[in-house]
Amino acid sequence: MQLRYAAHGAVWLILYLVFILAPLLALLAGSLPPTRDFWTEFSVAIGYAGLAMMGLQFGLTARFRYVTEPWGEDVIYHFHRQISLIAVSLVVAHPLILFVIRPELLALLNSIEAPWRARFAAVSTYSLIALVVMALWRAKWNIRYETWHLWHIVLAVVAIAAGLAHMVGWSFYLADPWKRALWIGLMIFWIGLLLHVRIVKPLFMLRRPYRVAEVRRERGDSWTLAMQPDGHPGFRFSPGQFGWLTVWGSPFKITGHPFSLSSSAEVTDGSVEMTIRNLGDFTSAIGDVPVGKRVYLDGPYGAFTIDRNPADMHVLIAGGIGVTPMMSMIRTLADRGDKRLVILLYGSKDWESITFREELEALKARLNLTIVHVLANSPAGWTGEKGFITAEMFKRHLPPPYADHEYFICGPDVMMDAIEKALGQLNVPLSKYHSERYSFV
Amino acid sequence: MRRLFADKLVFATAAIVILMSVLFALLRVAG
Repeated sequence: MQLRYAAHGAVWLILYLVFILAPLLALLAGSLPPTRDFWTEFSVAIGYAGLAMMGLQFGLTARFRYVTEPWGEDVIYHFHRQISLIAVSLVVAHPLILFVIRPELLALLNSIEAPWRARFAAVSTYSLIALVVMALWRAKWNIRYETWHLWHIVLAVVAIAAGLAHMVGWSFYLADPWKRALWIGLMIFWIGLLLHVRIVKPLFMLRRPYRVAEVRRERGDSWTLAMQPDGHPGFRFSPGQFGWLTVWGSPFKITGHPFSLSSSAEVTDGSVEMTIRNLGDFTSAIGDVPVGKRVYLDGPYGAFTIDRNPADMHVLIAGGIGVTPMMSMIRTLADRGDKRLVILLYGSKDWESITFREELEALKARLNLTIVHVLANSPAGWTGEKGFITAEMFKRHLPPPYADHEYFICGPDVMMDAIEKALGQLNVPLSKYHSERYSFV
Repeated sequence: MRRLFADKLVFATAAIVILMSVLFALLRVAG
């Protein structure tokens, strides 16, 4: 199964490169404009390639399950963020190289006197820079997620449309009608990817709503939303996967957020549960959601699941509300009557804030389950693990050889970085640990 | 670690794109 996903991943990677490089190399076909010096041609090439990379950014976040399943959504979003820095660098380097080798072109920066094709280039470049700056400093500047997301889309569309207008306006390489048609077609394709996730998917969700059947308070300032499909059979998922939930407003609004499914994947009536912690933002209103409210769910997504990684035993490592996908895995294993050993290392703030504490204890009767609670603030007389999960704790609680187990990790970024490092110290190969970073958006 | 793998993919993609841009320029200059 892993080989199948690796093969899928390789195919998508090759296709990604083809979509960037083929339109560039197509410019070398047919009739060609007069040859210029190396640096001018190089700067033009990176400008075209940079724009194609920016356009494909829409595809990376278009929630195509076949595209994302070999990697996992968090890795795709990480790639989306990192590759955007490369793409913007290429686009910005394009005029900078030209300014260095032909300083007279600096006059084009005067937007009042510059021709439209140069103005479009400026609009495209400034939009891209604004887009990246907003993305990098969104959290620091306390920009609301929904506000930022809207600006992110607007700036991206403006950057790409203005970039193409610049290319067509200059008409150097796009003088041939078929080359112009190719690049305009590409832009339509990129915008189509955006419309897929913003129009087509919401239309699909609108026809397949869910009703809130129960709002249940959990330990650790968290709430469980139990949802029933309304007029459709729902979807089947693998334990550990997540969905995009829209509670307030229509699915066309940019208010959907990703949450792990915390219920058992063996439930057959289509009902699902999500457990959400109050983090002070929109999640603080989850407890006020009325029973019967119509909500929208897009899923399932994610590669973080025990079903893809069969093993003799499972090691689940959770920090705080990162326990939700683990809960889905544990409930599912219990419903399946699975008797393989499961060890849950569960880091929490304190004893009272351990979400699912009582249910986990009860599930021990149905599973070969060992729970190791790790408390940051332990009560007087606590003899269990204290502080944060470390490599030493693995040695105390896991049977060797450590490299034989499958590890599933979900929690805050700092915790996950530390655990991945600890597993590396125990010589656990990369293929044996699986993680989901819920901070990916 | 999976993100480290993604970083390697980003680096490889950037390297391939820049190399192909160099090739594009060389082909143009060579006529």
